[in-house]
Amino acid sequence: MARQAKRKLNHQLIPWRLYVVVGFVLLLFCSLIARAAYIQIIEPDKLRHESDMRTLRTTSNQVQRGLITDRNGDMLAVSVPVRAVWADPKHAHDQDAFKDMRRWQALADVLQEPVDELVNKVKNNPDKRFVYLKRQVTSAVSDYIEELKIGGIYLKSESRRYYPAGEISAQLIGITNIDDVGIEGIENTYNTWLTGTPSKQKVRKSRDGSVVERLDIVQEGESSNDLTLSIDQRIQQLAYRELKRTTEMYQATSGSVVVIDVNTGEVLAMVNTPSYNPNARDNLQPHRMRNRALTDTFEPGSTIKPFVVAAALDAGVVKVNELISTSPGWMRIGGRQVRDSHNYGDLSLARILVKSSNVGISKLSLSMPVEQLLSTYQAMGLGHYSGINLTGENAGLIHNRHRWSDFERATLSFGYGFTATPLQIARIYATLGSGGVLYPVSILKLRQAPKGEQVISNKVAHDVMKMLVGVTEAGGTGTKAHIDGYPVAGKSGTSRKAVAGGYGDDYVALFAGVAPVHKPRLAISVVINEPKGDKYYGGDVAGPAFAKIMSGALQMLNVEPISEQEAVHLAAARGAQNNVIK
Amino acid sequence: MSQSSLNLPRIVLHDIWHHKWILLLSVLVVLNAVAVVYTSHVTRKLITQWDQLLQEQDRLDIEWRNLLLEEQSQSEYSRVTRMATKELNMARPLPKEEVIIRAQ
Repeated sequence: MARQAKRKLNHQLIPWRLYVVVGFVLLLFCSLIARAAYIQIIEPDKLRHESDMRTLRTTSNQVQRGLITDRNGDMLAVSVPVRAVWADPKHAHDQDAFKDMRRWQALADVLQEPVDELVNKVKNNPDKRFVYLKRQVTSAVSDYIEELKIGGIYLKSESRRYYPAGEISAQLIGITNIDDVGIEGIENTYNTWLTGTPSKQKVRKSRDGSVVERLDIVQEGESSNDLTLSIDQRIQQLAYRELKRTTEMYQATSGSVVVIDVNTGEVLAMVNTPSYNPNARDNLQPHRMRNRALTDTFEPGSTIKPFVVAAALDAGVVKVNELISTSPGWMRIGGRQVRDSHNYGDLSLARILVKSSNVGISKLSLSMPVEQLLSTYQAMGLGHYSGINLTGENAGLIHNRHRWSDFERATLSFGYGFTATPLQIARIYATLGSGGVLYPVSILKLRQAPKGEQVISNKVAHDVMKMLVGVTEAGGTGTKAHIDGYPVAGKSGTSRKAVAGGYGDDYVALFAGVAPVHKPRLAISVVINEPKGDKYYGGDVAGPAFAKIMSGALQMLNVEPISEQEAVHLAAARGAQNNVIK
Repeated sequence: MSQSSLNLPRIVLHDIWHHKWILLLSVLVVLNAVAVVYTSHVTRKLITQWDQLLQEQDRLDIEWRNLLLEEQSQSEYSRVTRMATKELNMARPLPKEEVIIRAQ
């Protein structure tokens, strides 16, 4: 019985219990599945959002402004990342940052600013969200500030521009403002090219701050471009040193030197005095920042005379070996007088240039139509932009009128009545040196010479260059510009500066030329504005600087000097030429 | 009864054999899932490494720029000229003192 009962018990199933248990289990599963489905399918956004809040970050990479280098890769402008220290006064107040004043004292010390001022900036504007405390601090300082951990004080990346060449190239390169925008010179002209835009990217970061996933790019960045100038920093430095010395020696108001490669039209050096230090801008003076080599114009004086001869030869109104009478050393034109310092008698074209005879050159000018002279001037680039494409360039002024008095035609021939920049003076001599081919001036390094334009015939250019050699030799007006080993075809010039109502007592002293004559390589113009003292002639003031710069630059460029025999040969040939003329 | 109990493993094996492709596929699915996890782990590690390298690049770039400035200021031509003339008593030869050696 008992056994039977046991068996019965064993087999006894209480169905409702089973159903309850199974029901519970099923319910549990269903609710789990439902919950999972709810989270995964119906409303996943909230949790995704929560996750993204904790892991998604937008990073941006800082793009440094492009480098500016000279033709040999020497740095002229370099951007270095620095940081700006800024404060969020609201955060500072919220985080009770003013409790520990020792940290503020340390901050003030490292920023070299009075602590009261610094604290007040943040303390007095509790509603503001952004205040600059100091800009462009170096990485050492910014690391220190980071360690101070003051609430509400943050750092922001920015960059600072350094100019290793300093005052030597200051006006040419220009400067950027504190927000890294070019405001002067090449920095300004090529601002868009040099500036890049940062790219922004969405990334997923893990808890320790390392990037685990790169998501989409929020903003496509643009990398900045470097700029290679045609400048040769060695020549630039030499030119600046000599120009500065000359400017100081004659206490001149200002001065400019331009060096152009005859065969390509590239500018190898362009310097001005007075200059400034672009790395320390506390007291910038606008007159020091002007790139006078292309913004300031003046009347070129006698330096233009070779081109009157070139125009006359080109027009065929004179022959190379023609003699022109300059006696008695003065001439009267329309009630005004043109005079020479001596009575030179009959002069060949070469001697007119060597002696810089105003009478002789005036006669040449009067022997041809004024349009011929003006069109030659303009064809050589006077009165036009040079193609250098820099902010502030002045094209100079040549009047385009039909009626000129005879006296005005005479003054045009010795460099008055029109204006030019030092760059234009260098360019016309470069044109002479290239055999009459005018190249657009370039401040950027060129891969190949641009296509030039033949503006005067090759033969005329060479004849005029030969004539000019005498200027720097014994008896010429530019003996101080003579260089042993590199024959120079140059011309001095001294022009009175125009003031309201006539000409004043100040002068511009110039020397411009090309060398070496047998195979021209460089054209240089040296312009000294308002030299004080007894000496003010172009040959005396600008000549020595010209010689130093020219010989140094040619040596640096490995231009072979002529040998003794060649020099003798050249002199003999010219002697023969002179004999024929006599 | 005893016959059926004897045959049970055989039946199981038989059944497994019968569904061998499904079983194989399910094993592959599991392996695949593990592979996915592993790959994404490796990817994350590589991305982290990449990011660190980018940071290193930035750091080196800053250092390079600072070194560049130092090099420029040390090799500045007027400084070199001054040192050459003052400290080493060197002088630039005049053009006429130069000796030209021709390389064929």
